[in-house]
Amino acid sequence: MFFHIVLERNMQLHPRFFGRNLRDNLVAKLMKDVEGTCSGRHGFVVAITGIENIGKGLIREGTGYVTFPVKYQCVVFRPFKGEILEAVVTMVNKMGFFAEAGPVQIFVSNHLIPDDMEFQSGDMPNYTTSDGSVKIQKDSEVRLKIIGTRVDATEIFCIGTIKDDFLGVINDPAAA
Amino acid sequence: MSIEPFNRLVKLVARAFYDDFTTKGENQPKSGRSDNRGIVVVVLDALTRRQWVREEDLAKSLSLHSKQLRRTLRFLEEEKLVTRDHRRETAKGAKIYSAAVAATGDGSAKDGEEKIKLHTHSYCCLDYAQIHDVVRYRLHRLKKKLKDELENKNTVQEYICPNCSRRYTALDALRLVSMEDEYFHCESCNGELVAESDKLAAQEAGDGDDNARRRRREKLKDTLQKMEVQLKPLMDQLSRVKDLSTPEFGSLLAWEARAHAAGRGGSGDAGANDGSKSSQGYGGTPMPFLGDTKVEVSFAGLEGKEEDVKSEAATSTPLKVLPPWMIKQGMNLTKEQRGEVGEESKMEGTSTSSQLSDDKKSTVQSDDKKSIQDEYIKAYYAALLKKQQELEESAKKQEQLSDSNIANGHSDTSSSRQVGMKSKRDPEEDVWEEAQYAGNTSESYRVGDLNVQADESGEDDDDVDWEEG
Repeated sequence: MFFHIVLERNMQLHPRFFGRNLRDNLVAKLMKDVEGTCSGRHGFVVAITGIENIGKGLIREGTGYVTFPVKYQCVVFRPFKGEILEAVVTMVNKMGFFAEAGPVQIFVSNHLIPDDMEFQSGDMPNYTTSDGSVKIQKDSEVRLKIIGTRVDATEIFCIGTIKDDFLGVINDPAAA
Repeated sequence: MSIEPFNRLVKLVARAFYDDFTTKGENQPKSGRSDNRGIVVVVLDALTRRQWVREEDLAKSLSLHSKQLRRTLRFLEEEKLVTRDHRRETAKGAKIYSAAVAATGDGSAKDGEEKIKLHTHSYCCLDYAQIHDVVRYRLHRLKKKLKDELENKNTVQEYICPNCSRRYTALDALRLVSMEDEYFHCESCNGELVAESDKLAAQEAGDGDDNARRRRREKLKDTLQKMEVQLKPLMDQLSRVKDLSTPEFGSLLAWEARAHAAGRGGSGDAGANDGSKSSQGYGGTPMPFLGDTKVEVSFAGLEGKEEDVKSEAATSTPLKVLPPWMIKQGMNLTKEQRGEVGEESKMEGTSTSSQLSDDKKSTVQSDDKKSIQDEYIKAYYAALLKKQQELEESAKKQEQLSDSNIANGHSDTSSSRQVGMKSKRDPEEDVWEEAQYAGNTSESYRVGDLNVQADESGEDDDDVDWEEG
């Protein structure tokens, strides 16, 4: 799920950036540092949409670096248990398949793939129904439900299922 | 609208899901006296025998404390079984309700409620349609949850290393994939992992754990079976009720109005029928207006469409919205003011409520009359002026014609026309002259004769009559 929230971060800025463009430099550095990172608490930071407020800088003794407390608005993406996501399959093996929904990796084990789909090894490993009408392989798009998340301090990993109503392949690259 | 199957459904639901509900908090010690399990069953059963009921009355007839009853009802409202309505009302409002109750023939006790100033009263009623949906959803969720558990649908897959018995879950999958083949590999011994539910792994893993798992499975299966058996009557009832139309009492106001209408009998009959047909549930009070509308519309000779819309509005909107509608009606009438006499004679036949509107109508009519007259006079003068000019021109022409004595078809026709005009215009010319005076006095660039002006205004009405007749 996406959220638009306000976060705060202490930015350390090298003295060489002090000048007319201090603020611009600060914001550029913030974007470089923060966008694309993942915190277990808030999820993946997708984009910074605005700066709320930059506090007073504090000079660190000895180094000359200055620490600014910066409040910024950003869009974050955090997967939840029970959430339905659309994801692209990245790898298929005997144990199941891996898929990506934006920055988040999702594993669907073969127990959570419908029973009528069989694993076919070979050049392009895939899961196929007995009549061959539905095929899950690399680059397929699937709709899946998250049934478990593991949230570490800096990464989020999910496991999903496609063994439920309205889940499964939504766009087959081979057919297109 | 048979209510019996639905009542049975409610009773079954109460006994199936709510028989151990208690309003007491968890921390309070349960003594025999404060143990009020089953209260929901009692309340729901009581509600199946009533329609809208005031909560005080319900409390009284159930010999419950009103606080306790309110807590129960709030719970039932959260469970979406009951709809409630609160309103501040005086003794009069309470009487309306009492009358409505009396009309339904419910006959529940009504005593000692006449001491009211302005209290908030709460009413409650079973919402059968919603109950039906809620119960079906509840059963669906029950079944789905048990089945999912049984089929390990949403459980996290576990993997075991056969060599070192180390266990992993699917959440570790990212770390376990190897580049060499398509299996997961143990982090410590690089052995091939097997899914835990596989027979091999089950045997190798600890026996006690497996037993617990199996026992859990058995239990789940048992629960599911028990549920199927015990809820069978409820499901049967649900399927029986499925195709029946649910009884609807509507909102408290609508119900009261309908009950009134039904209670009135005779005159209210038609209204009640209308209400049930259109499911508006309103037809009692505005009956006189309904009749009124028909009379007026046939009179005004407007399109039937408009009439339908209006009569619908009359039935669906409550009394207080009536005044604008009445005004509209009055304006329709003014389109033909001439009918005033006949209309009034009809109005006398209608009820007293339309008397009130009579005043409004007359003011509206007089306003309209004035504006229409003004308009008419303006147009009339304009036409007269034109005619006058024409006349002068044609007179000149005629003079020329008579002078030149050219006898051709054109002149014939023109002369014949002039003759006709002249004969017609004679009386008009007088009027015009007077009107001219009037107009000039108002604009005050010529001194007008006051007498003539007064005369004119008196005559003006006659003009209108003459033109329209």
